[in-house]
Amino acid sequence: MTALSAAFSLAPLLPLLVALLAAPAAMLAGTLKPRLAAPVGTAFAALAFLATAFTWYRGGGTVDLAWAPTWGMRFTIALDGLAALYALLATGIGFLVLAYSSRYLPLHLDQEGRPEAEGARFYGFMLLFMGAMVGLAMAQDLVLLFVFWDLTAVASYYLIAYDRHDPDARASALMALLVTGITAVLLLIGALTLYATYGTLSVPDLAGSVEPGVTLTVAGLLIACAALAKSAQVPFHFWLPRAMAAPTPVSAYLHSAAMVAAGVLLLGRVYPLLEKSQFLLDVLLVVGLLSISVGAILALTRDVLKQLLAYSTISQYGYVVFLYGLGGEYGAAGAAFYVVSHALAKCALFLTAGAITEETGEDRLSRLGGLTKRLPLLAVASGAAAAGLAALPFTIGFFKDELLFEAALERGGLFAALSVLGAALTIAYTWRFWGGLFLGEGRDGAGSLPAALVWPVAVLGGLVLLGGLFVEPFALLAEAAGAASYGAPTPIEPAYHLDLRPTNLMAVGAFALGIAIVASRPLWERGALAVSRFGEVLGPERLYEWGVDALNRLSDYVHRAEVRDLRSRVAAILLPAGVLVGAGILVTPTVGAYRTGEVMRGDFPLLLALVVVAVAALTTTFTRRHVTLALVLSGAGFVLALVYAFLGAPEVTLVAVLVETFLTLLFLGTSKLIPYKVLHDQAKLPLGNQWRRVFFSCLASLFAFAVAWSALSQPAAENTVAEEHVRLAPDAHAQDTVSAILADFRALDTLGEVTVVALVILGVATLLNRGRLP
Amino acid sequence: MKNAPARTPEITSVLVRTIAKLLFLPILVTAVAMLIKGYAQPGDGFSAGVVGALGILLQYLAFGRRTAERLPLVGFAGKGVFAGLLIALLVAATPVFLGQPVFTHYPPAGASVIYVGTIELITALLFDTAVFLMVMGFVLGGVQMIAQTIADEDEYRGPEATGPEFDASAGTDVEPSSGGGRR
Repeated sequence: MTALSAAFSLAPLLPLLVALLAAPAAMLAGTLKPRLAAPVGTAFAALAFLATAFTWYRGGGTVDLAWAPTWGMRFTIALDGLAALYALLATGIGFLVLAYSSRYLPLHLDQEGRPEAEGARFYGFMLLFMGAMVGLAMAQDLVLLFVFWDLTAVASYYLIAYDRHDPDARASALMALLVTGITAVLLLIGALTLYATYGTLSVPDLAGSVEPGVTLTVAGLLIACAALAKSAQVPFHFWLPRAMAAPTPVSAYLHSAAMVAAGVLLLGRVYPLLEKSQFLLDVLLVVGLLSISVGAILALTRDVLKQLLAYSTISQYGYVVFLYGLGGEYGAAGAAFYVVSHALAKCALFLTAGAITEETGEDRLSRLGGLTKRLPLLAVASGAAAAGLAALPFTIGFFKDELLFEAALERGGLFAALSVLGAALTIAYTWRFWGGLFLGEGRDGAGSLPAALVWPVAVLGGLVLLGGLFVEPFALLAEAAGAASYGAPTPIEPAYHLDLRPTNLMAVGAFALGIAIVASRPLWERGALAVSRFGEVLGPERLYEWGVDALNRLSDYVHRAEVRDLRSRVAAILLPAGVLVGAGILVTPTVGAYRTGEVMRGDFPLLLALVVVAVAALTTTFTRRHVTLALVLSGAGFVLALVYAFLGAPEVTLVAVLVETFLTLLFLGTSKLIPYKVLHDQAKLPLGNQWRRVFFSCLASLFAFAVAWSALSQPAAENTVAEEHVRLAPDAHAQDTVSAILADFRALDTLGEVTVVALVILGVATLLNRGRLP
Repeated sequence: MKNAPARTPEITSVLVRTIAKLLFLPILVTAVAMLIKGYAQPGDGFSAGVVGALGILLQYLAFGRRTAERLPLVGFAGKGVFAGLLIALLVAATPVFLGQPVFTHYPPAGASVIYVGTIELITALLFDTAVFLMVMGFVLGGVQMIAQTIADEDEYRGPEATGPEFDASAGTDVEPSSGGGRR
């Protein structure tokens, strides 16, 4: 394979590479000059969008690299229809949201009195989020999927807690991280369950080989759990409204193209597995219906703008889950179409809410209204978006409901009726949002919103209208995405039909019912509020709070038990280790296990050195002063190094000497950190329960001695790993086997160890230097 | 020992300074030799990193923190850890994109190697260099942060406050030199 063709076959990596490079680029630009982070980040988002579109136009493609082939893990990414749809959403909406942020964020930081330099963090994490979404969309291997899945959770944690001085924001971020992070583990367990049975982690391969049965049901349920939690479906929905503590652009992105969309993306990705089990599809149906109704009813009761929108998101993604549950061609393609049209509309509405709060300083519906005269362009643009969400004709939203009705009709009358009711509820809360903001009596006067807070909304509103007139491009994308999920072509023909076909009648019914719901507000308002209160008292959020509380108490208890006394902590390690090892020794046959060799004359210096080590070790048991203790311990270490030298192990000796030197310096340095008085007073304390300590030490050392003795008595088997390494070292161009082991044979271990080194220095920096590295 | 602040310039003798100055380059050369000869002789990135760091710590001891941190790149020690980690990850991941397992080293077994003098140029050496950077950065960065914290605390207490507090507690024990915190 020539280098050129090799590079060409990697072409589908392009969108992922650009998207993943965006975050470091923006961070770097931000550290050079805070003002640069926004334009660089926005440009990279646009570039990622173009790269995705270009690669998709060129026909997509797959890149399949051996990642950890012995464990069946491959780095497989593909730009298929589903990936293209979500990657285009993540990068395209990401671009608009970042453009909006470039004006919004300075205002936000200014209001909170924070320096402009903190903006770089925001752009860095937004773009990390974008990169993770692109990776998630393209990943075809379940473990790779899991990696990107968790990366989105990490990015969302930092974004939701962006106002980190606000305890509410921190608690919300933790809640989002815990709910989506814990369920992410279920995804991993589900993936490994499938791997254990079918021997592959690749989704396309699994789609070909899974059989309906208990394994599939269990694994499918676990994976669906992760997806539903990420998509904030009942009963995991409670984290999403809380996540509104984030700055508005974060919410807009989270709801339309990133976090919440990731959940249904996973459903779309593993749909070929889920559809094999009718039970799993029924679970999706039930959860979807519950989320539609709970989200819609609560959206009708909320006063805070972003809360209303958050509950509407729960309800709207409920539709997508419902569509997947309905199954069939219309289900798969309809769900994809629904995601696109919802993303455009919802992002616009969030950005509208943020702009209005910037303009008026209010974030409650009850204190807002009549803004049309002040903000005419925003009113029109967000009106188009709201019409799209409410599925009015001449918007892209009309077709999303058309597809929904079509899919529901295939399953039967009950589902058709429920989907009409859902559509009517959507109309009701969308009207409540837009009408409440822009209609009614309002103050006059020109608005003073910067253009960058309005034009992204206008672009999105324009796209919603454009999709209502020329639906083909969106429909083609949804068809491709549906085909990737469904495994067969999913032709959908969204179009206007001027006749009395059932879907048209259902749409008219939904409009009428929606208007009726809006008009009859006094009749049901108390009921809706009662539902909301019931959820607050007995909802799943209570369970979460109780769980976190219990975990906190457990952690406090362990912490107290561990930190109170260093000696009991050491005993807690030594005693179980001694007892367990001792039990192991007692049940092993002892014949021939303990042998003594002969002591030669040449061994004398070695024995002498060992005596010194033993004396030093004994000395540590009654030394009181910390510095003396450190010196005695390092003395033991140095003499042990000497022992290695006698045994002819220069490499080990070298490392031992260096480590001892460094540890001694470090210990003396850190003891200088403790005030002299404290150290001095502690050294004068009585040594405590002497006999207990002696007993623990003797027990542990006795068993350690027995283990070492027995291990050394058994001659090593032929062809051990060590011999293999010695034999192979020359092939690795090494005369020094130890170096070859560290850098080649066991390089992965070394990498793990040095990563720990990096983490430790971060810990030291956090403790001593307020997180800044020298 | 105890709190006797060996870091203050006035305590370090001319002898220590001369030795530190004389040993500085030889120690660094030893470290580099350990690193690049690691595949033929005892020593590897880890040992080289510790030796190099100890060489620089000797300068800290002899000339004080401020002077030592003016040595080129010493001020960026903590970032060196992450530069090293990045190199290590690159060495690990690059073969994957060439269709080989993680950590495939080049040139492969049996293939001919480019020599520079007697040093063999292999990618394992690059990985060892990454380990070298990380270990050296870790030792220096850690010590720098500890030294910084000690200096900050001394400054916070001030020379006047240091004396009486220690007098009261020290008793008959070795008296730490009062006011040692300030230069």
